[in-house]
This record gives sequence, structure tokens and C-alpha cells, in this order.
Amino acid sequence: MNRWVPALAALAIFATLVALGWLAPEHLSDSDMSRKLLSWSEAPPFGTDRSGRPLLEYAMQGARVVVLPAVLAGVAVGMMGVFGGLLRCVGDARVDTVVAGFGEVLGALPRMVVILVVATLIPSTARGLLPLALVWALLCSPGAMDEAAAVSERLGGARFVEALRAHGFSWNRIFLYHIVALNLRPVVVRQACETMTQVTFLELALSYLSVVKEVSSFTHPDSLRSWADLLNIGYSSLVVPNLGTGHVLVTGLFLVGCVVLFARLGSYAARAR
Amino acid sequence: MNGWWTRPLMRLLAALLLPFAVPGIITALIWALPGDPAEIICPPELCGGTAELSARWHLDQGPWNYYRLWVDAAFHGDFGNSWRYLQGAPVRDLLENAVPTTIVLLAAGMVPVLLAAILGASGRVPRAVVPVFSAFGLVPAVVLALLAAAAVELKFGANSFGDDGVRVRLLAGALVLGLADGAFSDTLSGVGALFSGERKQRYVQVAVLRGERVLANVLPNITPALVGQMRARTLQLVSGTVVVEVVLKIDGVGDLLWNGTLLQDFGVVIPAATAYAVLSAVLLGVQAVVEVGVALWVRRAPRASPAAAVVAATGVA
Repeated sequence: MNRWVPALAALAIFATLVALGWLAPEHLSDSDMSRKLLSWSEAPPFGTDRSGRPLLEYAMQGARVVVLPAVLAGVAVGMMGVFGGLLRCVGDARVDTVVAGFGEVLGALPRMVVILVVATLIPSTARGLLPLALVWALLCSPGAMDEAAAVSERLGGARFVEALRAHGFSWNRIFLYHIVALNLRPVVVRQACETMTQVTFLELALSYLSVVKEVSSFTHPDSLRSWADLLNIGYSSLVVPNLGTGHVLVTGLFLVGCVVLFARLGSYAARAR
Repeated sequence: MNGWWTRPLMRLLAALLLPFAVPGIITALIWALPGDPAEIICPPELCGGTAELSARWHLDQGPWNYYRLWVDAAFHGDFGNSWRYLQGAPVRDLLENAVPTTIVLLAAGMVPVLLAAILGASGRVPRAVVPVFSAFGLVPAVVLALLAAAAVELKFGANSFGDDGVRVRLLAGALVLGLADGAFSDTLSGVGALFSGERKQRYVQVAVLRGERVLANVLPNITPALVGQMRARTLQLVSGTVVVEVVLKIDGVGDLLWNGTLLQDFGVVIPAATAYAVLSAVLLGVQAVVEVGVALWVRRAPRASPAAAVVAATGVA
């Protein structure tokens, strides 16, 4: 398949999520019990909740919570991947050892445990997804660096750079075009996309766990709703039949599916020829 | 610094450091937070006697003293008391209940992963099935756990916290851990790629022509990578226990850590995080030992008799 099709589809999903987040209202609108639990067709695009508020507002606020931290985390992991790949091309064994040691220690702990410890340390007034997303990115970076370094290794590492220098190419062209754009791109983009998905899942998990315990989420202020709220409202339809909240669950899953689809399409579009 | 022993040595050092580093870092960060740590347990505006409490729980003489005393007590099986979650309750009692549950959950969660590893190694999984597993692996743990929780509640209703209900919750949790977030599908494809790549090597094909078994030839070379992959998967499962335990209401270390996190109960968070650090250290240690063992096995000098050496050198029998 032509790589432009998945690239455009991924871009469209991303642009939609950014627009949703950008246009998200500060607070949910007032309840209107005459419009409660309307389906997708009765109150497009997603229907309404038990108080008659449009689920679109939940979707928009959830996007607002997730998009910026996920993108920044993805970019951070991508940059670390590029750094790891370029470092291998420099061919310094001592630097390699130091980086490997850094990766070993960072990668040794379960990520969720580290996130929870960090969440404990963030004062309640400064809570938000961004610091947690950046910590998640830091925990993901050793894997991205390792994979990018393996690509550089297969390329020939320092010998590849020497060969291109012998052909008279400039440093910028060698590193930015030949190594990063042509060879590291698939790995770096895939790792960045995966990190973005993982940050979304992380937000979903942390918010859902908070909702279950009926406490404030670590990832957003109380005025905002997360996609986890959709899952929580919709969950009741699984346990109690004919409650009419099935469309809320489907909306939550649809939004999660969009993020997964974006990541898959993005990775596919950036794949090696 | 690029000897075969570099990585295993790093892992061993990290394994030795982790159980000490984790409580140390958390302790340092508690003191880095604004305000007095004792005020977290007992805010002066809500309760009196903050100073007495501070002295009783070793919070009055700085982070180093607190850390030193905590580690010393932990070596004697005393993990301190909960600050907020179950204020004053010994964390040792909480961990005694939680750790076995989490270990059972993890062990059961490893079953699908090991099954995937065996299937991947055998190379007998039809190619058409792999994308189906991969698609299923995209489902996040929280979503699958939610569906599993609904299934358990539908099946058991009010009795879902009885003995049978708890057992089914554990089983459902294990299935979620083993299948969600690509645990099964990634193991299948990862181990499959490792084995199929190695099977194509010339030395394996020569060994087959000599009538030797593939596995015996392949295993020494791929064991380090295989152990690395399995450690990563186990860590992924350990990470997932927090979500699964809270959603499925399983009383494990993950649930304990989550409750401690919600209430900023460092008395619970430090021991729970240290329990995870110990588990991670064990995994690192096992990987290092396996790597060293394989390296020594592969580098072992072949035993040849002096007569055989003469024959090899001169070509005369």
C-alpha cells in the first residue's frame, strides 16, 4: 500500500484529536434530564450521559487531558532514540557502556510502580498528566535508544559514517539525512507512536483507578473529565442489562481505538522501504 | 569495557543496588517536598502532637537517619507502620497478605506468556493467526480488566468476594495480565523471530546435516536474548498487576501501593515499592546468572586428547 494513505489517515486522526482538545469546554454543560441517555443517532455524534450532557464534551475534555502530554512524551522518546542511534555511529565504547548502564537501571523497575511513586510525590496542587508522561518517556527511552542503536550497528556504525565522509558528504547530510531520516526514521517514529499510545493508556488507567476509588485523578483537575469516565459510566451497562449506557462504553472504546489506530497507521507510514 | 561480562556485571550491580536505592530515593524525595514530612501524617491544623509523632516514627532527625533506621528495621522484618491508609497498622501484616496474592497472580499470568513462548519457539503457529493475536494484544489492560470484572460480577453477583469469587477474580486477572498490552502476542512474535532467525544460520543447517538436533545447537546462542525477553515480559506483567488488582479488587501489593499513593501514605509506598524493587532485582540477578552461565559454557575449551591433537595437526593417524 502507498505510504501516503496511512500517513494522511494518521494525520487526520491526530488533527481531530488536537482540535477536540483545543476546543474542549472548561466545564461540562448543565444537566438536562429530558435528554438523558440519548443514543448516537438521537444526539450525534456520541449521544448523552445519565444527566443529559453530550458525550462529545467528555471526548473533548479527555482529548485535552491526553494530547499535549502524549505528544511531548512521544517527541521525547523519539529524540532519545535518535540520540541513541547517533551515539552508536560515534563508536565510543565507554559512552556505550555508560548508556547501557543507564538503560539497565531505568529499565529494571516496573514502569507503573515508578509512575505511582512519582504521583505520590507530586503535590495535589500541581497534579497533571505532563510530569507523569515525561517520566514514562524517560522509562521508555532505553528501549528506544537500544533499538535505534541496533539499527545503527547493522548500518555499520562509525564505519558507515567514515565511508560517507570519504564520499565528501557533509556531517549534517550524513547524520540528519542518511542516518536519521533514511534509517532511524521507522524505529524512531514507531517508538514515538507507541509511547503516545502508552501515555493515553496510562491516563486511562490512572483516571479509571481513581474513579473506581471515587477520588481525584492524578492526571487532571476535577473540572475536567477523562475518557476513563466514559468507560466507568459505560461499565454499568455490562453488569446491569438494559441500563442504556452501552453507547457510553462504545464511545470510550471508540476513542481509545482511534488512538491505537493513529499509532499503527503512523508506524506503518514511517516504515522502511 | 565491552567484554562479555560487562552487561551481566551491570545487571548484578543494578540488582544489588535496587532494593536499597528505591527506598533511598523515595526518602530523599519526601524530604525534598515542601513542609515537614510529619505534617503529611498529622497536619498541625487537623491534629496535635505532630512533634511526638515525628519523633516516634524517626522523622525528626533528617532523611539519612530515617533511611538508615528503616533499612535496619526492614532487615529484621519490620517495615514500619501505615501513615494514613490504615493509620498505625504494621505494614508487615499488610504485605504478608498482599505478597502471596500478587505472586500467585503473577505466576498464573505467566502461563499464557510461557505458552506463547513455546508456540513461538516451535514455529508452528499459522501465519494467518498471528495478526489476530496482535490485534487482540492492542487492548489495554484497563479495558480488558474492566470486561473481566464485569464478567465476574455477572457470574457471581453478591458472592463475588466469596472463596470461589476470589479464585475466579485471580484467574481472570491472570488472563488479563497474560493477554493484554501485547503480552501474549509480543511474546509469540518476539520468541518466534528469535528462533526463526537463528534456525536460518549456517551452523544450524550444518548441524542438521550432521544429524544433530536444532534446539541443542540453537539454545546456547539465543538463551541470553530469550532470558532478556522473558524478563521484560515479566516486568510488564508486574507493572500490570497494579491496574488488574485495583480493577478486579484483588488484595495484592499493587492494590496496596495504589491505596498508599492515593493517600500519600509513604509508610505504605516505601515498603510496597521496595517489594517491587526486590522482585525486579531477582529478575535482573537471574538474567545475569544465566548470561554468565551461558558465556562460560560457550567459551569452554573443547576437550581433546593429546593423540587427537597430534592427528589434527599432522593429518596422520
